[in-house]
Amino acid sequence: MLSLSSDSSRSPSRSPSPSPSISSEDRDRPQSPMRPMPISASSSLSPPGLSTFHADLATSPITGGFVSHLSPSSYTSQLRTQSAGSKYLRRQSSSVDEDAIHDTLSPTHVSPAQLYSTESGRLFHAGKICIVLVGLPARGKTHLAVSLTRYLRWLGVKTHAFHLGDYRRVHLTPGMDVPDDYFLVNASPSTVILRQRVMAACKADVYRFFEKDRGQVAIYDAVNPTSAGRRVLVKEFSQRGIQTLFIESICDKPEIIEANVRSVKISSPDYIGWDEKEAIMHYLKRISDKIPHYETLDEPEFSYIKLYNAGERILLNNSRVGYLPNRIVFYLMNLHIKSGCVYFARAGKATELRPRYKSDPHLRDEGRTYARILTDTLLEHRRSEHTARNANGDNSPERELIVWTSTRRRTIETAIEFQKRGFSCRQRPQLSQMHPGSCDGLSREEIEEQFPGEVELHKKDPYRHRFPRAESYHDLAVRLEPVILEMERIPNDILIIAHVSVLRVLYGYLMACLPSDIPELDFERNEIVEIVPSAYNNKVKRIKIYGVEESNTL
Amino acid sequence: MASYSFQAENVQICVIMVGLPARGKSLIAQKIVRYLTWLSIRAKCFNVGNYRRLETAHPTAEFFDVNNSEGERLRKLAAEAAIRDMFRWFDQEQGVVGILDATNTTKTRRNWILDLCRKRNVEPMFVESWCDDEDLIMQNIMDVKTTSPDYVGQDPEKAALDFRNRIRNYEKVYETISERDLTYVKLINVGSQVIINRIQSYLESRIVYYLMNLHIKPRCIWLSRHGESAFNLSGKIGGDSDLSERGREYARQLPRLVKMSVGDRPLTVWTSTLKRTQQTAKYLPYRQLTWKALDELDAGQCDGLTYEEIENRYPDDFAARDENKYEYRYPGGESYRDVVVRLEPIIMELERQENIMIVTHQAVLRCIYAYFMNVPQDQSPWMEVPLHTLIQLEPKAYGTEVIRIKADIPAVSTYREKGQSAKIKK
Repeated sequence: MLSLSSDSSRSPSRSPSPSPSISSEDRDRPQSPMRPMPISASSSLSPPGLSTFHADLATSPITGGFVSHLSPSSYTSQLRTQSAGSKYLRRQSSSVDEDAIHDTLSPTHVSPAQLYSTESGRLFHAGKICIVLVGLPARGKTHLAVSLTRYLRWLGVKTHAFHLGDYRRVHLTPGMDVPDDYFLVNASPSTVILRQRVMAACKADVYRFFEKDRGQVAIYDAVNPTSAGRRVLVKEFSQRGIQTLFIESICDKPEIIEANVRSVKISSPDYIGWDEKEAIMHYLKRISDKIPHYETLDEPEFSYIKLYNAGERILLNNSRVGYLPNRIVFYLMNLHIKSGCVYFARAGKATELRPRYKSDPHLRDEGRTYARILTDTLLEHRRSEHTARNANGDNSPERELIVWTSTRRRTIETAIEFQKRGFSCRQRPQLSQMHPGSCDGLSREEIEEQFPGEVELHKKDPYRHRFPRAESYHDLAVRLEPVILEMERIPNDILIIAHVSVLRVLYGYLMACLPSDIPELDFERNEIVEIVPSAYNNKVKRIKIYGVEESNTL
Repeated sequence: MASYSFQAENVQICVIMVGLPARGKSLIAQKIVRYLTWLSIRAKCFNVGNYRRLETAHPTAEFFDVNNSEGERLRKLAAEAAIRDMFRWFDQEQGVVGILDATNTTKTRRNWILDLCRKRNVEPMFVESWCDDEDLIMQNIMDVKTTSPDYVGQDPEKAALDFRNRIRNYEKVYETISERDLTYVKLINVGSQVIINRIQSYLESRIVYYLMNLHIKPRCIWLSRHGESAFNLSGKIGGDSDLSERGREYARQLPRLVKMSVGDRPLTVWTSTLKRTQQTAKYLPYRQLTWKALDELDAGQCDGLTYEEIENRYPDDFAARDENKYEYRYPGGESYRDVVVRLEPIIMELERQENIMIVTHQAVLRCIYAYFMNVPQDQSPWMEVPLHTLIQLEPKAYGTEVIRIKADIPAVSTYREKGQSAKIKK
């Protein structure tokens, strides 16, 4: 959860923002005017499906970036800057190469792994829940909010994170620092008014999310230092029929706090030229000056989760709020301080031109050559990345690579080279491709002939539609959940060699894609897709495999 | 053969139960064993009380007094014997998760076990059940202890009294787990508070998640196959056929059968996505959910064939399946093991829910039944689960009660014994 090494040095396109109205200790996440653009140059040559997404980026009203990340809150800024026609901004089309985790969801959004839809749009009969984060700055709250949002959205729980810091920034005039008494209980009247205005703005958006947008879980990311303040929140939410679950992030290990401060807080212009150690100390002192009284969660009647040292210890109190807290705790148990990269690669070409599921064919010669080139390319890429990191002063050791394939022959055979070179390879039945059912081996025309109307239905809802006896992408997503959790837990780098349907779903999770995007995602045979996790969003890179023809055949 | 998804290379975990008597430790231990075994992870419970009983069959409360040195000595011997057996099981029988079921209430005892585990490279994980809810404790005492082998033949009232004194002796030396560097889970008052400390692996997190989802509210689970289908009549396997006339009759009778058994209790019905289960459940007046995971075992290339045809076309496969029906995977299809993997979320959800009725297929039903009744892998694929029968399962303290309710509607038997093709009995 908390980066132990400075990731920002790795991505060339991220630059610290010179945004003037921000005081560094309020920043829970880096302010960049634009989301880092996809690094791969090949995006300009992207296949027809993707090019439209990039075009939208250019015409977006706010300097080509994604709205939610920019100024203050996803909600208020969008509503303000949206052109007259639509009253509600939702992501019209996505660039699937950008992590969509900070985007808002439409009212009728249905998630990739959602088990079933209900009329209210709310699942698990859990009603409306507000997860209130508690914790001092630099405790990883924002990262926690982002990770949780990703996982919950994946499960089909309509979730959105509201960062109070964003609202604060809107209400401060440029150049103005947060008042010294901002966090004090007995603040001056002008500070109190400021505070109330900020909170009101944030809460208004939270309520709009629940009431207008059929949201189910709102994550309220703020310090929430006092018990009295928390009680007020619980009461107010309960009056609106919203249950409250607190998650407190506590760190008693100075190394974790310092690492966090180092990677996120002191990259601001305020600290340019400072000695790193001094900057950290300075920042921490500002925190303790501004927030002298912090009361840890202790109210027995509240439902809460206390997270110590990024998951080393978890305390769950009064979990009778239902299914969600258990699920969240399970996720938190597996969430690692820093996950490794995930690489996606396709299996080589099979002996059958249109490989049938039932026959489970072997690799043909071309496929075996592909396997060798794939292995060489990936290992070379890792070597050069490692060298580059060392050159940048990052001396963290290279993570061990493990390989996961399905139990289908051509994926296992593609991994042979890795196995020969001593890498650990594991076959997982859950990674088998989407079952084609009665359409196994049939062409589009043949399907239309044998099952008239199905092709039409499929076009209407490619994510959820099942051909006769087949699986849908949705079924795949549900099936892949254990794989996803294990991916979160394992600290290694993982190479997944699987059928393109499986790669699409896993990519969809990591990049928070909309269900409508997932069936269209592209995975060429001459590319390895690399996803690097970082504190606030995951980044995609496509590594070209030379010597393999660009082909999208099965 | 595909390696199972959980198994990290050579991980061996010792789950060490901690808690006063009558805190549900044995129940938790047995459920963990059942769950892991069902997932094909070798798990076994070593109950120290059983070892102690070999020497001292009917102890009184004084036996458990800390100042009773003879009692102490015998109890320590029992613990040593249990641990010795457990390590032997790890070494010789490829055990993965061993559960040491005992009170283990003092730090010294726990440290002793810790040392032994570390020397043998076994990962220790403590599970403490802490309870101060008097009602729950009393209920536990009445339910279980008075029928325990320690109190056989004694007056239940006296037994309960003696047992409470035994607990008091334990209470005098009880030290709850507080060592921060241990891996442990503390369940307080049946999950109203849970403390999770230093989980080391995915398997451990899976065990913890399972424990968090358990509840002890009484409830039942009803299982039924779909009504007789057209394919059943012609002896074909797989497919997505409609119900036969008799199958439709079963669907019509089902609401009455279910009502007799369920009464007024709230119920939710789960079916698969295949027509025959949905048609079977369609008259049931309860909320229905469809789960893809409840679909029948995929027969791959053999889908739509009769067993005779399979035997003729794929004689080697037919024989191989009889050899090891659990592991055998139809070409292009699934094995029983694969079905279990995809059923796991269903089982987890079942543990959390209260009254559920599942309308599903032969292989899937065998797997679910095997979970609740702890049927081993070599037997579960051969269990007889006839059509037109409603099975009621009631999970109780140390096992599950089964009641089979037959609808009096004749149906073919789809049961095939080893070495035979299915004979259609009308």
